[in-house]
Parts: sequence; structure tokens; C-alpha cells
Amino acid sequence: MIAYYLITAFLLVLAAWNFVREKERRQDLVLYLLVMIPLLVRLLRWK
Amino acid sequence: MNRDPLLKSALAAAVVGLVVWGGLPLVRHRRYDVPVVKGPGVTAVHRLSEYSPGLKGSLADTNVYVLEGREPGGKALLIGDTHSNEPEGMLTAVIVIENAVVAKGTLYVIPFFNNSGSRNTRAGDGYPLYFDVATDWGAQRFRFGNRDASPLDQWPDPDVYIHYPERQLLSYIDVRNTNRTWPGRADGPLMERVTFGAMELMRREKIDVAVDIHGAETMFPVTNCIVAPERSVKLATLASLTLKATEGFENHVEPSPVGFRGLSHREIGDHGPSLPFLLEAPIPFLDQPTGPKTVKLLLDGKDPFLLSLSKKKKLFVPYDESGWPLEKRVGQNLSVTLEILRQFSKKTADRPIAIRGVPRYADVVKAGVGHFLADPATAPAGAVVLN
Repeated sequence: MIAYYLITAFLLVLAAWNFVREKERRQDLVLYLLVMIPLLVRLLRWK
Repeated sequence: MNRDPLLKSALAAAVVGLVVWGGLPLVRHRRYDVPVVKGPGVTAVHRLSEYSPGLKGSLADTNVYVLEGREPGGKALLIGDTHSNEPEGMLTAVIVIENAVVAKGTLYVIPFFNNSGSRNTRAGDGYPLYFDVATDWGAQRFRFGNRDASPLDQWPDPDVYIHYPERQLLSYIDVRNTNRTWPGRADGPLMERVTFGAMELMRREKIDVAVDIHGAETMFPVTNCIVAPERSVKLATLASLTLKATEGFENHVEPSPVGFRGLSHREIGDHGPSLPFLLEAPIPFLDQPTGPKTVKLLLDGKDPFLLSLSKKKKLFVPYDESGWPLEKRVGQNLSVTLEILRQFSKKTADRPIAIRGVPRYADVVKAGVGHFLADPATAPAGAVVLN
């Protein structure tokens, strides 16, 4: 179970890092945010 | 001026706003409790976690209503909402709880078996979150759930669900399906703990008859039927033939396949003392080629696309302009359940189960489902149980 949370955290950091680095494509910014939602909710265990 | 941080903050705020706006109705649905009034026959209300401690504190735990008769006799377990998008099972169980008086034997009723699933939804299919049943005193609101438990309660899903104990490979999603996780384990995934709780109840209380009440698509061959394994098939056939003769509706018998594991009609009999039966009433809402999945379709079962398919003989049940309304589905489930118990009592005279006060098919079709639901607002203090 811990491994799944670590994978979730890793993917979240990856998406967040790409969001910060992205300078031009607004569409990609929105996509990064959308991808981060389920990862963040899962990591924080929000129900 | 660098507009980059400003743009990103605005986008993030917009996305958070959308998440909150879209998420709040789901949060409310997950926390919405359905009131059930303890009828004249209810003698106790237990929790399933008393039989499966691994459920304690989780949303998978659920109420078990006990209706103990004045005289001893046989024991039966009725299960509704194994699949929470088939509400005729849950409504059948609620009507029994609110109306039945047991003269001989004991009834155990679990109206929200997959409690987590009943607080889940299928957003991709546009499922409604609630449905209202018109009653003599207003409308009673129920949660409309999903076939599977919520991933908020049981996560992560495996790539393939390996059934316990047969090790048959099933679809990954079936690990959250309480009609694939029978007989379950005390320390397995959460839905295995739910079915384990029911198995323990049947073993400890020495349940004779277990009836798992469902609905099925009109385009699915296993519909409008009683599914029974070898040991229950005789009683199921007698019930089916008697109902055809006395109440005039078809409800054929389907054999429970030996090679398909995890289903209640197979595992309950293979791993416990009870005779299992699974009831399927046709529910057009579940068919794929229908119009929008509205509450109206759920309640009246009328759909022009199914009507067209019926004329081309593509359905497994008779279907005309009258659809398959909730009244017919719930009434059918009630009559079949009562008839199974009557046939069991005839065959096993030393363990009779005698019930009165429960409406039958013709009563429900005539008066409607809501006529048999009690008003929580006027119920005596302590009689309302939240589910």
C-alpha cells in the first residue's frame, strides 16, 4: 500500500514540476492541473 | 512584468473552483443517509461488523435487521443492494423491514449490502445521484449508487482480481463487486470482508435460506429469473411454477454455473449451510442502448429504443409501451421471496418460516411501491434507523 502512495506522490511531483516549467502552452498547463487533481486527492486521502 | 505566475495562479484557482463545484454534490450524496422505519416485526438491529470485525469504522459496514418470530422455526437472510444500481432489491428489503410480522422462524434483512457502492456513482454514464419514490405522505428519497464499491473505500484495484479461494482470474473491477467476492475473507480486500460477514452470519445463526435480490438488463439472458445451484433448484422450480399459476407472471429458473466463481448463488451453498437463491427482475435502466439515464427511466422502465429492439426480438423479456416499472420489479421480487420461503416451509416442516403483512405482486402493482413505505417523520421515537 505504501508503494502505491509513493508512486502517487512521484507522479504528482512530476506533474507539478512540468506545470512550473511550462512557459508557453496554456493547454498543457490546464492538462497538468487536471492530472494533478486525482493524485492530490488520493495523497491527502480526501473523501 | 512577468505574467507567468499570475496566469498559473488564475488557472489553478479556476481548476480548484471547478473541482469544488463538481465535488460538493458527490460529497453530499456520499454522506446522505436513508431513513428506514423499524416495522412491527423488527426485534433487533445489528451491524455486519459484529460478524466481520474488519469492517468496523468503514463505510462498508452496514445494518442487519432481525425479525424474530414468536414461535421458533427456520431462518432466512434477505440481501438487497448487492449492486446499488439495482434498487428493486433494496426496496424489496425495506418493504419487508417496514411491514413484515414473523409468526414462525427468524428473518435477517440487509437492505444496503454494498453500503460503499450505494454511496458511489457512475459519472461517465450520467447516473442520477438520487431517486424519489412517491408515497401516500410525500416522497421518500433514496441514494442511487453504483454496481461496485467506491474506490475511496477500497483502493488500489489489482490488475487482475484473483478470486479467493478458487484462484479463478476475474476482471480487476470485480474486487469491488460484492457479487464476485463471495465467500470472502476476514482480512481480505474490504468487499471480501463484507461477503465474509454475511457468510459468518449464515454459519453462526444457522440460516436455512439466503435470497440475494437483484435487477438485470432486458438484453441479458439471465433476467426475469431465479438463479439457483443444484441444492436449491427444486425449491426454485416449485416457486417459479406456483407463481406462474397463481400470480400470472413468468420467472424462470437458471442453473448456477459451477465454473464461474465468486457469485452468491454459487459460493453461499458451497461454503455454508444455507440454500442460496438469486432473484433477477428486468431493469431497462441498465441496458446499454437506451436514451438518457434519467430517474424517469429508472422508475417507469419505458424506453423507445428498447421498444424498437423488442419488436426485432432482441430482448429476453416481453416488452411493450408499459415498460418495466418499479412496481412490477419490486412486486415480483416480494412474491418470489415469499413463495421460496413458503416452499421451504412446506418441505422442511420442522423449520417453518411464516410471515404476514408483506405485500405481494398484485398489491404493489396496484397500490405502488410508496404505499408500503413508512413515513419517518411520524414514526415513534427510536423507530427510525439511518442507513
